[in-house]
Amino acid sequence: MEVHITESEGTMTARLVGRLDTPASSEVIREVQPLLDHAGETLVLDCSDLTYISSSGLRIFLTLRKAAAAAGGHVVVEGLSSEIRQVFMMTGFLQLFEIR
Amino acid sequence: MLNRKRKHLKYAFQAIATVIVALATLEATFLIQYFFSRNTLYEEATRQAEEELEATNLHITDVLDQVETAVRNNVWPVRKTLAVPDSLWPLTRRIVECNPSVYGAAIALKEDYFPDKGRLFATYAYRSGDQIDTIHMGKASYGYPGKEWFIKPLEQNGGYWSEPYYDSGGGELLMTTYSIPVTDSDGNMAAVLTSDISLDWLTDMVGDVEGYPSAFSVLVSRTGQLMVCPAPAFVMRATVQEVAATLEDSTTVRDISLAMLAGERGSRQVMYDGEKQYVFYAPIDRAGWSMAIVVPHKEIYGDVKRVGFLVILLQVFGILLMSYILYVALRNQLRFREVSENKSRIDSELRVARNIQMSMLPTSFLTTPEHTEIDMSGVIVPAREVGGDLYDFYVRDGKLYFCIGDVSGKGVPASLVMSVTRSLFRSVSAHEKSPQRIVTSMNDSMADMNENNMFVTFFLGVLNLGNGHLWFCNAGHNPPVRTGPGTAALLDVVPNLPLGIVPGLQFQEQEIDLTCGEGLFLYTDGLTEAEDMDKVLFGEKQMLDNLLQSGAESADLQVKSMLSSVMAHVRGTDPNDDLTMLSIRFMNASPLAGLDRHLSLRNDINDIPRLHEYMQGISEEADLDHPFAMSLNLALEEAVSNVMLYAYPAGTEGQVDIDTHIREDHIEFSVSDSGVPFDPTAKVDPNLELDVEERPVGGLGIYLVKRIMDSVSYARKDGKNILTMIKKR
Repeated sequence: MEVHITESEGTMTARLVGRLDTPASSEVIREVQPLLDHAGETLVLDCSDLTYISSSGLRIFLTLRKAAAAAGGHVVVEGLSSEIRQVFMMTGFLQLFEIR
Repeated sequence: MLNRKRKHLKYAFQAIATVIVALATLEATFLIQYFFSRNTLYEEATRQAEEELEATNLHITDVLDQVETAVRNNVWPVRKTLAVPDSLWPLTRRIVECNPSVYGAAIALKEDYFPDKGRLFATYAYRSGDQIDTIHMGKASYGYPGKEWFIKPLEQNGGYWSEPYYDSGGGELLMTTYSIPVTDSDGNMAAVLTSDISLDWLTDMVGDVEGYPSAFSVLVSRTGQLMVCPAPAFVMRATVQEVAATLEDSTTVRDISLAMLAGERGSRQVMYDGEKQYVFYAPIDRAGWSMAIVVPHKEIYGDVKRVGFLVILLQVFGILLMSYILYVALRNQLRFREVSENKSRIDSELRVARNIQMSMLPTSFLTTPEHTEIDMSGVIVPAREVGGDLYDFYVRDGKLYFCIGDVSGKGVPASLVMSVTRSLFRSVSAHEKSPQRIVTSMNDSMADMNENNMFVTFFLGVLNLGNGHLWFCNAGHNPPVRTGPGTAALLDVVPNLPLGIVPGLQFQEQEIDLTCGEGLFLYTDGLTEAEDMDKVLFGEKQMLDNLLQSGAESADLQVKSMLSSVMAHVRGTDPNDDLTMLSIRFMNASPLAGLDRHLSLRNDINDIPRLHEYMQGISEEADLDHPFAMSLNLALEEAVSNVMLYAYPAGTEGQVDIDTHIREDHIEFSVSDSGVPFDPTAKVDPNLELDVEERPVGGLGIYLVKRIMDSVSYARKDGKNILTMIKKR
């Protein structure tokens, strides 16, 4: 699992590559710290290369979403595969995020 | 191309060489014949001339002999008459009378022989018209004692022929005189007896030479006087030497005349009258004359020249004809060669094409030990070198993908469409499991590029090697035969349309289950429509009967038995269509009784990747599709990580056991641990309606398990927590 973070004018983008399963989540939560630090800006989560997600991965998404809500920023989720979109749907996440 | 040109040149040279050799042979033959003929002609001319010369010689000698004899016979009467001088008159007259060839005769006495008759006495009798006149020749003015005819016989004491002369007395007659001395009874020379003869007959006798119209003769006296010659003006008025001096080739003529005067015999070539002439000459011994016959060169060789000209004309015509025939033959030969070269090139290309085509089709029928669940065999017999039939198959993810097809038409165009069809089958089925979708996709591709309106009847099947389930889709192909021990029946198929006709067409998919020993026999219409010599088809009935017999046999035997039946049927005919057969038998005796897999993990989330591998293996084995497999994986991970995180007190080691049972209609997971009793199903579902601020970050795992699986149940058994999750397929 890899996380590539890029920053531009008022936007932090994290590209998630690989399987976001339970062991991977415990590392990824640390790697997305820069996004939590800029929760007041626009946070983009690029999921084009995300192949799998477990509930612990969903937990990171929700943590970021809560931080943004608190700081007045917002979170955009891009490039969901149909399988992961299915998981988002089952868990009501589709309503929580701006999905692109 | 260059090579062919070289070959053409080679043949052209050979042909020209043949013509040249033929020409040379002909010419050599002709020349030999020509010179041989010339020689023969020359010899013939020589022989003719010599014959003529000899004949003339004999003739003249004969005439002269007669005269000589006549004169000699009178020597004795004259001698007796010498005693009575006046009696010499009637004697002279009688000599003329009795010898028709004698023109005149004389008896001239030596001077003063008869003293009373004067010094000179000579009687002369001669023909004058029909009469014979006599005159006295003793006039002093004539002076006969000085004449050659009188002196010579006396001197020689023998007969003497005078030089020819023109008689000036009795008309323009060419004459010659034979004189002989007469002695008296005492043996003294007394007189000379003479006879004159006309030589006019010489001109008639000497002259013509048979076969040579322009030839002429020349007769000369011993002094060279011309006695007979083509120019009358010269006769007796010129010598041959004088005339020779005026001729163009005077030297040669003079040499000839000298030889003639010397009494020689021979022949010479001379230029006369502007052309080449041959002169043949020989002496006339009795008179001391010489005769020559002059034959123009062109008359000797005229024929041979004319014949030679004709021969050359014929040869030229023959050579032209031969050249033309050779040319035509050569051209035809070259054309034939070119055609047969082209044909053999095409033949060999077709053989190569056939090899390529055959190498596309799988020939090893999955006989390896890893495929004991399948028994296959097949054959293609193309009607021409390359054909439009195809079959293909391969195994992917525990399924056998197979197809059979028949392209409309035969030969090279059909074979090209056949390769395209086979490639499409491979590429489309590589990432598609549904026969209906594979066939639809292939149809779209082929209909798009089908400019030549070729179509393919096609049957495609996907056989699950685990359970014998068969999905298939037919595209206008002959229905396959469902085979089994003691059964053989046409499969009930939805016909659909062949591939390549209507783009966007939706094909219908069908499915059946094969039990162990059952199978499909696929074929093209080359089998059922194979005709015997009476145009009777092999037919479906014969095919089904055959399969009924061999239904329990191996696929290889089924195909071989069918092939030998159909070959016996068509014996003696040319195959009119490609013939393809493919037999597939499902031989798995224990179809998916179940797939049971076990996995033990430590209570450490870092073991989770092992769980993924485990699930990956199962989904491949059971051929689960990707989204389905992923959702199962998620449910299992949530159940397992729940145990890892909460079942055992922190810092204690524990174990999680996972058992998977895949059945035909469902999948069952059971996750068990020896931790503290805990029923995850008892947990209340999270409220998904809450705002983001109010939503707890956890509690989604078990909820996901429940959402994904059809049933989730908890049991505490033998000190273990057992979570059982079932998902229908």
